[in-house]
Amino acid sequence: MTFVFFVIFSWFVVKAKTRRQVLALALVGTTAAVLVAPQRVQAQSTLVQAIQAVLSVINGIIHAALSAINSVRAANNNFYRNVVWPTQLINQARALVTQMINQYRNLMWGIFRINVSSATLRPTQQLELVMRDQQTSNFGVLTTNYGNAYGPLPTPTAASPADRAMTDMDDALALDNLKTLKETDQAGALTLQAADQLESGASQAAPGSAPFLTASAVVASIQSQAVTQKMLAAELRQEAARLAHESALRKRSATYTGQVANQIINLLKHN
Amino acid sequence: MKNTLGMLFQRGKCTLRWVWEHRLRVAVLALVLVMLEPRQVKSQILNPCCAVLAAGLITISSTLSNVVGGGLNSILAVDRAILNFEQTVVWPLAQISQAQALVGRTQGIFASVQNLTRIPVNSATLPGPQQLERNLLSADSNQIGLTSASYSAVYGPVPDVTAASQDVRNRVDMADAAAQAAMKRAIAIDNLADLEIQAANQINQSLQMAAPGSAPIIEAQADAWLVRANAYTQAAIADLMRVRAIDLADAGADIKSGATNTTNLGQQLINLLKRQ
Repeated sequence: MTFVFFVIFSWFVVKAKTRRQVLALALVGTTAAVLVAPQRVQAQSTLVQAIQAVLSVINGIIHAALSAINSVRAANNNFYRNVVWPTQLINQARALVTQMINQYRNLMWGIFRINVSSATLRPTQQLELVMRDQQTSNFGVLTTNYGNAYGPLPTPTAASPADRAMTDMDDALALDNLKTLKETDQAGALTLQAADQLESGASQAAPGSAPFLTASAVVASIQSQAVTQKMLAAELRQEAARLAHESALRKRSATYTGQVANQIINLLKHN
Repeated sequence: MKNTLGMLFQRGKCTLRWVWEHRLRVAVLALVLVMLEPRQVKSQILNPCCAVLAAGLITISSTLSNVVGGGLNSILAVDRAILNFEQTVVWPLAQISQAQALVGRTQGIFASVQNLTRIPVNSATLPGPQQLERNLLSADSNQIGLTSASYSAVYGPVPDVTAASQDVRNRVDMADAAAQAAMKRAIAIDNLADLEIQAANQINQSLQMAAPGSAPIIEAQADAWLVRANAYTQAAIADLMRVRAIDLADAGADIKSGATNTTNLGQQLINLLKRQ
């Protein structure tokens, strides 16, 4: 840049025709040279001040900020360890679960498994046995034993069609419920198994894994509730059938009463 | 050679003459050339300014290492301690995987329970009862509309006006209504229970893929389902109570009508004896 300026300037000086032009060019050239010339270097004292300013920022604001962040992180760490998730209390909770498993599980299992069978005669003993065996593969045996204890459906010659239909319906709903109970007894045993597994899992859980077990326990509760509802539905059917049975007897009683009244009136008329 | 030297001497003489004749211009050019002369560069070794700068930079570097680096290292140490605590105590991966596996096993158990509830329990042998039983065990709320017809086929219709007194007809109709409503409710409850089991399986599946932070959301949903299930259970118990209440009312009505009938019969016998 400087070289180009000097060449152009020299060309103008050589080509100048008068002394006045030369003086004018000299004035312009020197002014331009002064303006284009680089600035002088700063004094040493300014540099020292700048370095001290940088050091002051590091030792002041940055140091204070880092100290504050460190204090907050340390407090956070302390809070987690001592208040939110104290290891001692976590271990204590696990130990409590284990202790309660040891204290209650076998005891309750033993109480639950007490044999409550009470029949004394052979046919009823057989029925009671199959009713309570929690098996779902022997429904045929249940039907046979039920028939042995309560008798078969009357033959068409032994009872009216209405009586036979009602008896069949009563037997059917009683058997349905006994079968349903065999299923729900087995489901109950499985539900207890699930509860045992969840409790054992809780004895080894961490605070972060416990929500899985809690959620799973809630899901198990829903499923258990659904089984309870199915049992209630069976109970509803049974109670409804009992009421329907009584209602049907009342209908028939009304019919019979009307027929008997007519017969008495006819008899009295004949006399 | 002699000629060449002579030529060069002549040219030099001409140049000097030209410079002398244009001495002002040459002076101006020389002045500007001096002004445009490049500045001297400061020495890196001997210059005191560079020494101050170097000492300053070393101090800054040392301060950065001690103050900033030291502070950051302290924060890093605390963060590492927190990370270690969270990874080993709060959210240990092994226990999380173990819990997810346990959820899978629980689902397996309840799949068996679901299979148990699907085993058919129908037992009726005659066509009429078979039809009613099929309807009652259908667990299909779309079939509730067929219950009344199947019920009447087995238990008979309400007696007509000529066949029974109004009192008896009322009681029969009420008992039939309560029984049929309970049967319909039983179908609906079975259907709802199946849907609850289905939803529970879905929730369990999503739980197996959940993170510790998302599991509580799934748990909240499961809690909501449990509340809903409790409401359905209460509805079933309510219908059971209704059936039993109507049954009790029937038993009471039997005693009432027995007393009335006894009085009427006594009166009729007195009237009959009086005529004779």
